[in-house]
Amino acid sequence: MIKTEHIVKNFGNIKVLKDVSLQINQGEVVVVIGPSGSGKSTFLRCINLLERPTSGTVMVDEHNMTAMNLKQVTKVREKVGMVFQHFYLFPHKTVLENLIYAPMKVKGLSKDDAVKKAEELLNKVGLLDKKDQYPNKLSGGQKQRVAIARALAMEPDYMLFDEPTSALDPEMVKEVLDVIQSLAESGMTMIIVTHEMGFAKQVADKVVFMDDGRILESNTPETFFSNPSTERAQDFLEKIL
Amino acid sequence: MEQLISGFKQIAPSIPYIINGIWVTLGIALGAAIIGFVLGTLLSLCKISNVKLLNGFARGYTSIFRGTPLIMQLALAYFAIPQLLGLGDVNATAVAIITLGLNSGAYMSEIIRSGINAVDKGQFEAAGALGVGYWPMMKDIILPQAIKNILPAMMNEFITLTKDSALVSTITVTEMMRRSQIVSAEYYMYFPPMLVAFLMYYLVVLLLTFIGGHIERRLGRSDQN
Repeated sequence: MIKTEHIVKNFGNIKVLKDVSLQINQGEVVVVIGPSGSGKSTFLRCINLLERPTSGTVMVDEHNMTAMNLKQVTKVREKVGMVFQHFYLFPHKTVLENLIYAPMKVKGLSKDDAVKKAEELLNKVGLLDKKDQYPNKLSGGQKQRVAIARALAMEPDYMLFDEPTSALDPEMVKEVLDVIQSLAESGMTMIIVTHEMGFAKQVADKVVFMDDGRILESNTPETFFSNPSTERAQDFLEKIL
Repeated sequence: MEQLISGFKQIAPSIPYIINGIWVTLGIALGAAIIGFVLGTLLSLCKISNVKLLNGFARGYTSIFRGTPLIMQLALAYFAIPQLLGLGDVNATAVAIITLGLNSGAYMSEIIRSGINAVDKGQFEAAGALGVGYWPMMKDIILPQAIKNILPAMMNEFITLTKDSALVSTITVTEMMRRSQIVSAEYYMYFPPMLVAFLMYYLVVLLLTFIGGHIERRLGRSDQN
């Protein structure tokens, strides 16, 4: 379970998050939507402490992340995979090396075990034939699928997706969403920040609508998309659907 | 012209002596480069660190070594400090390598720092999100990318070291420059021995430049589309 309580995040004088509390239960898929600049990504980055909240607490299972030093946080991050908008594959490592690096270095897996696991995952995302390529030979969609496989190679309990399809050409969005969806169906606990409303409707157990640093609505996708309770959400949906 | 040719004929037996000085020169440059690289890496990590003490130390170090003449530093290390500490005779070559290395570390740290800063911030985040700690992240993820970016600058630094190593002739190390002076004095004839050393320096620098370009192209392989 991931639980955030009263998270506030300021960048200098700019208040990006103003008291955000949310609980994500085991096996739940939470999709966070909202206009640009509403604090969605910052909120996500506060969960694994890529951003340290100005105040408030982040609990990952029994670990109080906000009370930990960086070394302790790093340990908990093994359980929380993250996928970024711009992939951030390691450009000097091949696809396979990208996948086996952290499991070997951090979890101490043997190379054989790490490679076996990595090949399984690459097969699952349909990119086993690219394992010896360097990332810059891949398309955006392929890069993102590798990035997802890289995160999964650590066998995390949770996955965070930060606008995973926003940097992709339109024709590559589906291949990435399909991978995320099959992951959702496998029971992975996930928080997904996205602008893909159709996808949100399909995979979400819970849709969270953020605006101006606050959570305005948190509801099932059926209720949220057909009958949003706040005016701001109605307005937002009208504009994008 | 005739005089010049006869000059070369005269010093001919000593030419191999001068040319072989290049090995001393290169040995000193290489030793100093290794020290400079290790030291420069540590200093650059201090410079990007949040710890004020480390930060201040690295900045002060760089400021001092870049703010004083290398030939002065050499004299200080070889003549002044051993006298002050009552060390007696010290090994000139060792002092030369260490001093050049300490000096080069200051320059190298700036090069490496700029290389680290040029690595996408997302690379730090991706490694951090995977649970990779600071040292392995730096060693395996950040520095390899940083060094690739700054390879031309590092090769330049090595070439500079090769040329600057001529200064250690002032503390009695018989590298190539010193050897050309010794031969000059022996025959009381300056041009031929100096020209030999001059051309040899240039040849070696050209070779190093060529090797640098080659390495750069090889490392650039993962960048090709």
